[in-house]
Parts: sequence; C-alpha cells; structure tokens
Amino acid sequence: MDIANAQLEFRNFNFYYGKFHALKNINFRMARHTVTAFIGPSGCGKSTLLRTINRMYDLYPDQRAEGELLFDGRNLLASDIDVSILRAKIGMVFQKPTPFPMSIYDNIAFGVRLHEKLSVAEMDERVEWALRKAALWEEVKDKLKQSGMSLSGGQQQRLCIARGIAVKPEVLLLDEPTSALDPISTSRIEELVDELKKEFTIVIVTHNMQQAARISDYTAYMYLGEMVEFGVTDELFLKPKRKETEDYITGRFG
Amino acid sequence: MNLLMRRKLINRIALTLSMGAMLFGLFWLTWILWTVFDLGVSGLSLNLFTQMTPPPGASDGGLLNAIAGSVLMVTLATLLGTPIGILAGVYLAEYGRFNVLGQTTRFINDLLLSAPSIVIGLFVYALIVANTGKFSAWSGVVALALIVLPVVVRTTENMLQLVPNTLREAAFALGAPKRVVISKVTLRAARAGVVTGVLLAIARIAGETAPLLFTALSNQFWTLNLNEPMANLPVTIFKFAMSPFVEWQQLAWAGVFLITLGVLALNIIARVFLRAEKLN
Repeated sequence: MDIANAQLEFRNFNFYYGKFHALKNINFRMARHTVTAFIGPSGCGKSTLLRTINRMYDLYPDQRAEGELLFDGRNLLASDIDVSILRAKIGMVFQKPTPFPMSIYDNIAFGVRLHEKLSVAEMDERVEWALRKAALWEEVKDKLKQSGMSLSGGQQQRLCIARGIAVKPEVLLLDEPTSALDPISTSRIEELVDELKKEFTIVIVTHNMQQAARISDYTAYMYLGEMVEFGVTDELFLKPKRKETEDYITGRFG
Repeated sequence: MNLLMRRKLINRIALTLSMGAMLFGLFWLTWILWTVFDLGVSGLSLNLFTQMTPPPGASDGGLLNAIAGSVLMVTLATLLGTPIGILAGVYLAEYGRFNVLGQTTRFINDLLLSAPSIVIGLFVYALIVANTGKFSAWSGVVALALIVLPVVVRTTENMLQLVPNTLREAAFALGAPKRVVISKVTLRAARAGVVTGVLLAIARIAGETAPLLFTALSNQFWTLNLNEPMANLPVTIFKFAMSPFVEWQQLAWAGVFLITLGVLALNIIARVFLRAEKLN
C-alpha cells in the first residue's frame, strides 16, 4: 500500500519522553483530503503521534522527536520552522471541548486575529463561514455574544472545530474528539468529518474501532509505540495482514 | 449488625465533636460581632463622616480624616501591590513552575505571606522613615503594599494553576504566542479567582494597625499630603480605645464597626462576583 502524492510523511520517525522511547521507527504517508485514523490500546502512542504533527511537544522541554516529518516536502522538525505559522496550517481539536472564556464570536475570531488582519465585515463573514462548516451556525447565530462555555458539550466541541477551521488550515488533527460526547453529538461530529474532508486533510485518533471503520479512508493500528499495520481502512478491518491487528480488531486483545 | 452499630456510634461521636468545635468557634465570633455592633451602632451619627477627630473632652467630633486617610492609603497600596503581585503570580504559574528561580520566589513569598505585619512595619520604618527622618503616609502605603503583594502573588498563582492545561494547549494549537495565551486565555479563565484574591487582600490591610504605627503614624488634622503623617482608622482606634476619655472610646467603637462593615462588604462582593462568574 503506498500513497504516491503524500501531503504528510513520517520517515524513520522516533519520539522520546525523557528517556522513554515512545514512538519507534514510524514510516507512513497521508494523502491530501483523506481521513486517516489511528487506533490501538491506551498508551500505544497514537495521541503522541498525532501531537507531533503540530509540534505540540515543543511546550514540554523533556519531549523530543528524531527523524523526518515531511509536510509538502519540508521537514517540520527542522529548527527553522516557525511553529506559529505551522499551527495555522495544521489545526487541532482535543478530547475534551476547550472553549475559551469569551463569547462564541470571539472564540472563532481569536485564532483568525493571530494570523490575519480582517475588517469587521470580513471577520463577521469568516465567523459565519466557520460556524456553518462546523454545522453550528443555525444553533448559535442569535447568541454570538454569549459565552462559549454556555453551550452544551457537543456544541462546544463543534465550536472548537469551527475555531480550528476558521484559521483555514490544510490539516485538521482530531484527538479523540467524541470520547466525551453522547451518541447523538458523536454522530453529528462524524457526519461533519465526512463533510470536512472535502477541504481538509483529517487525522483522527479514536478509541472506537467502529468509528474508525465508519469515517476513515486509511487506518493505522499502533501497539507499544510501533505502527503494526497501516492500510486502506476497509482492507485493514476486513482482511488484516498481521495477526496482532486481527486480534485487536476482533476484540481478542486490547 | 454489630459492625453497623459500631460504625453508627463512631459516626455520631465524630459528628458531635466536630459540631462542638464549630459551636465553640461560632460562640466567640458571635460575641465579638455582637459587641462591635452593640457598642458601634450607638456611636454612629452624621458627625462621624463630617467632622475631624476631636481633642479630648470635646462633645462632638468624628472620624472623617481617619476614614479618608484609610481609604486613600488602602487604595494606593492596592494599586501598587496588585499589578506587581499579578505579574509575579503569572511568572510563577506560567514560566517558573519548576525552575530554581520560581521555586525560590515561591518559598520566599510564602515566608512573606506569613510574616507578622509588625515586622513589615519595622522594615519600612528602617528603610524609609529612618532615612527620610519623618513619618509619612506614603511609607504607610509601602508597608500595606508589602502585605498585599504576597497574598495576590499566591492567589494569582493558585488560580492559574487551576486552569486546565488543555485550555493552554488549545490556544497554542491555534498558533498563539505564549504572551497571548496568558493574557487572553489563561488569565481570563482565572479572572474571578484573581479578583477575589485582590478583594481579600484589601480586606486584610483595611484593619492592619502595626505597619501603620511605624510609618503613617496618625494625624489629628485633615491632610491628603502623602509626605505628612496621615490619620487612619486602625491607629486612631488603637489610640482612642486606650484613652481614658469616654467620647474617644465611643469613637473607637464606631471606627471598629465601620471597618468590620467594610470587610464584611468586601467579602460579600467577592462571593457575589465569584458566583456571577461561575454562572456565566
């Protein structure tokens, strides 16, 4: 299985928490406008892998990465990369909704203001665009001045997705975005992912194998910091090449 | 069954003991408040807010100069101590959480927090009053600011530590630089707690006597000149309460009542503010 025209590519990638070797020799590619899911048991390194793509680990001095992580051919691990610009191109949504303590409008405008100077009218337009993309506009259009914290959990998570895409990134990283939500909110977010992949490359970490099967094009199964198997989602779930993958997805292990 | 009865018995004993301790504390507190109310209310009059502290034996007179001096010095001390305290608290929580400078600062701040206020009064006396050769209101302001400072540092740091790390990461993930993350997101999330800390610091210095005794001293007359000794409620209360004159003693009680009322009001404002923020 090979993806010829990769947008993101890991080459001989290793990651360390202090002395602990958390990701071991990762090699794979992700194509533009596809959904790639990382699955595996807790502690296997799937979230760690996701968080390297926007260099979130930079915040913590004892964490470091080695090897290459290519984004449109440029190595993101290079020291001359401007992390702020990188994060404008690669957005992220977290496990728990993280609305900022400000109005719904300002939640969306916050990230945009960091990278662009827009007029009031342009900003209004951008906020509406992002909220429509995140399927939240109809629910909040009359209360944009209200605090983002006043929304329900599912709405807050869609607000976070809207905040992420308002910056117009190319890649969207989703770190277990539905694990704190009820089934109805979960299915809304899944529909949203399907819609969003037309414009963004999506990488999602999930504990839920059915979810990975439903929404992703490619799936990576990880175990103990290694990428055991990577492939087209349907093939990986229907006829996995490795015994370990089969054991995990059939529930015999994990 | 035997085990259940034993558990119930132990529960009852523990409950009785803690209720007893609560009642013991509450008893003295009510007594103090009642005395303050009883003796203070009878001293309340319009004169209290319109006339200066009287000479001994005068039948009228109020606390206007002391009230104005207290309000002025407490305000200036808060304006001086709060920004420095918030900035230091931000440093401790966001930059120096684990490094040596941060840990040292935190330790020294804890010492300052528990330092007796009379020590701070003497320190400012040696530093400013002894060097300038006179008591002055602004040395009192410095002494009070030194009491405000560690309280604000501590609460700011604690409140920022309560802000979940995912909120910081979410702001960083949008490409925000650290100063924006702190000023626009984490400080805003901790705002209610920080404001409460400032209000409680004000409540704390409103009644401080010892630091003013060595710095602002007191003044029988009206002045807003910071280079002069300035009248203030705590020292006036101290002076008047120790005097043999009945009128002075009456004014002292009225002053005590005013301070108690002020501190109570600050506490209520702090609570209302916290609740409003939570509901939001």
